[in-house]
Amino acid sequence: MTITFVVNRRSRTLDVPPLARLLDVLRGPLGLTGTKEGCGEGECGSCTVLLDGVPVNACLVVAGQCDGRTVLTVEGLGTENGLSGLQDAFVNEGGAQCGICTPGILMAAHALLAANPRPDESEIRESIAGNVCRCTGYQRIVESIRNAAKGQASREPG
Amino acid sequence: MNPAEVALYPFERPSTLAALCRTLSARAGRKEKTVLLAGGTDWIVERSLVPPEESGDLPLVLDVSRLPEMRGIHVVKERAEIGAAATFLEIRRDPVLSRRAPVLTAMAREVGAIQIQARGTLGGNLATASPAADGAAALMALDADVVLASAHGERRVPMTRFFTGYRATRRAEDEAIVRVEFALPRAGAHQAWRKVGTRAAQAISKVALAAVIELDGGRGVRAGFGMASVAPVTVSLPTVRALGLAASLSSVSDDELDAATRRDIAPIDDLRSTAAYRAHVASALVKNFFQELRTSAAP
Repeated sequence: MTITFVVNRRSRTLDVPPLARLLDVLRGPLGLTGTKEGCGEGECGSCTVLLDGVPVNACLVVAGQCDGRTVLTVEGLGTENGLSGLQDAFVNEGGAQCGICTPGILMAAHALLAANPRPDESEIRESIAGNVCRCTGYQRIVESIRNAAKGQASREPG
Repeated sequence: MNPAEVALYPFERPSTLAALCRTLSARAGRKEKTVLLAGGTDWIVERSLVPPEESGDLPLVLDVSRLPEMRGIHVVKERAEIGAAATFLEIRRDPVLSRRAPVLTAMAREVGAIQIQARGTLGGNLATASPAADGAAALMALDADVVLASAHGERRVPMTRFFTGYRATRRAEDEAIVRVEFALPRAGAHQAWRKVGTRAAQAISKVALAAVIELDGGRGVRAGFGMASVAPVTVSLPTVRALGLAASLSSVSDDELDAATRRDIAPIDDLRSTAAYRAHVASALVKNFFQELRTSAAP
């Protein structure tokens, strides 16, 4: 079936099997391999992308349901000139270790900060509760998101 | 089946409920299988567990996730109507529900992490009919009706009668779950959601309790319960409910609550927990809720 949807601010029209996983459409025909497959059953959050601004597991979304929708992946966070403030905070704070979970966590955290620019720690932790990391112990990740929120606040016009 | 095989299922997106019902009716008449797909948080995961189907026998997948008649949350004359395809995230963020049906808000917040909340629906929760369905437990406590639609019109089934056995419901092959409805508990009603699992997010319940009681002078005038993961179906704890409607709540003893809970559940050992632990936790959750009630009702 033919679907038209917006991926990282660019309209894309593709002919795909209707029940292909969004994850496979992103990584295959669209070449967006920043979105990672972890468990493939909605448990680990590695394949988190934003669908109409809300975090979803791309392994559980079918292509046929994406027609007319808007998708943001980790490739859409920064610009050609550099990383987003959130990504910078992960670099500076050591929020990534092996890196497989990182794109998904960035997307979940990006959605949090878009809706809630000054989250407290429990809100940060709840926002990434669907993202499993087996390296960091989460503390550096939480710090990265907290610092990104602070940086975001300091850039706002006073 | 692997994802590449699942990708090839036939797929349609009916644009109205009437069109959906016509397709369901025609296919049921020909004994053809049809799947109604909303968020896919159960069905897609389960595909990897089923063997490949004969290609001539693939079910037709009908996308109901954007069907207008199944969307939205409305309150009409003190009655809440929640579309079967409204997501847990939409339920969680609804201001009227959070004020008047916090048991539902709390359930939606803990049913899974945000990625699951954003996709999962009450309609899917009811149709899948898992004994661990958090949504079903909360709807039982609210004494909700399930509204089913077919080419012949609508009918409603009370939540307490909706499940007929393990993963079996009263929904017929030619019917779709369109919405659930319940009378909003009055302001100040006691509502509780207690989920016991391996961790706070993204865990399936070992035991979950939903409870709603309206008190009038120390006596329960409306009582509803729902418990998940303690029987082949989500259960409404009828014996406990009768105690909740007792003339004086302060006269209900812990021994009576223990006996009532034991009578209402049939827990088993499985990969998530044991029957003995579930029975213990079920009793403790019920007693805790009644203790809170007695404390709040005390002069």
